[in-house]
Amino acid sequence: MHVYIYDEYLNKPKYNRAINRLEIRLTDLGLNGKIIRLGGIKNIKATIQNEIKLGAKTIIAVGNNQTINKIIGAIIDTEIYGDFQKKTLLGLVPIGDDNSIASSFGIKNVDEACNILLARRVEKIDLGLVGNYYFLNQASIQSAGTTIEIDDYTLEITERGEVRIINLLSDQAEKIKSNPHDGKLDVLIRTRKKDESIITVKKLKLSNPQEKLIIDGVFEIETPVEIGIMSDKVNVIVGKDRMFE
Amino acid sequence: MFNKETRLEKFKDAETIIGASIKVKGNFQGQGDIIIEGSLEGSLKTDANLFIGEKAKVVANIESRDSVINGEVKGNIKAKGYLALGGTARIFGDIQYNELSIEKGAIINGQLLMLAEEHRHNENRKVEEKKESIEE
Repeated sequence: MHVYIYDEYLNKPKYNRAINRLEIRLTDLGLNGKIIRLGGIKNIKATIQNEIKLGAKTIIAVGNNQTINKIIGAIIDTEIYGDFQKKTLLGLVPIGDDNSIASSFGIKNVDEACNILLARRVEKIDLGLVGNYYFLNQASIQSAGTTIEIDDYTLEITERGEVRIINLLSDQAEKIKSNPHDGKLDVLIRTRKKDESIITVKKLKLSNPQEKLIIDGVFEIETPVEIGIMSDKVNVIVGKDRMFE
Repeated sequence: MFNKETRLEKFKDAETIIGASIKVKGNFQGQGDIIIEGSLEGSLKTDANLFIGEKAKVVANIESRDSVINGEVKGNIKAKGYLALGGTARIFGDIQYNELSIEKGAIINGQLLMLAEEHRHNENRKVEEKKESIEE
């Protein structure tokens, strides 16, 4: 059974057309399923976990990066995770802004998302971990004043710019080759002086007393934090134009 | 041929790049090619190749396979393969190498020791010691 989780913001009238288009297309392709609207639900975790217990074969996040993060947060490291990993796939239908995760998976719009759900091409994806938060794409922070501790060494950055800890690339123009199944994170530091640093790590500790860490463009958290990777954590339905091999 | 080797093209698929704005402190170890354009203090080791840029400042003992150095190094260098010192290289420490090339303008303050020679010397010494123990 497919379970479609609609994010709360999709209740706004401006998304009605996109939702209608989605539902018609799903019917045409025989992909109908149960619809759960997060707007009316108090306990999102319990609702999602219950659907998995009831045997949902695919959980589809209809919304944006925040929607996917809510669903993953409800499943990973819970008692239901074992069942999820064995029996359930995660799908995405991007509607609205902040959809870098869907882009990374080669899912550009509603029509494509439906075709991709039908094709059911699956990849096991690593998950980045920051404290109690998970990320599929990246965590980022301003570079000036940031200190990064990796194994036996430390990186100090004084120039202004950005530090990105990448699991899965969201921009095809980037030169680095990021792999979301290698059990590693790519640390990309780009300063305003246009110099670039790239290091591949399994875990690191990051601190910046002035700036916050932004996770998948959705959450902001204070540092210091430890950032790691959980290998092959989620089975995702992806498109053939995904940004990795 | 020497100018090509002092340049960056050989390292375009480097696994690790330390840019000019970064300071590294500690024991830096990698498996792939490394490019250093910033500063590093501590120790630097890779099983693969190393490029140190013209403006880089390294205060560390270095160990690699092939190395191309165009910047400043205060520490001992061990290149198990080929070592190329560019015209802007400034080395303050001892160098162990298998093959070496030095461009005009490079500054070296330290001893140079060829690794193949040292290996041959050690092997000869082992043979001598074995002969002595048999005779006894």
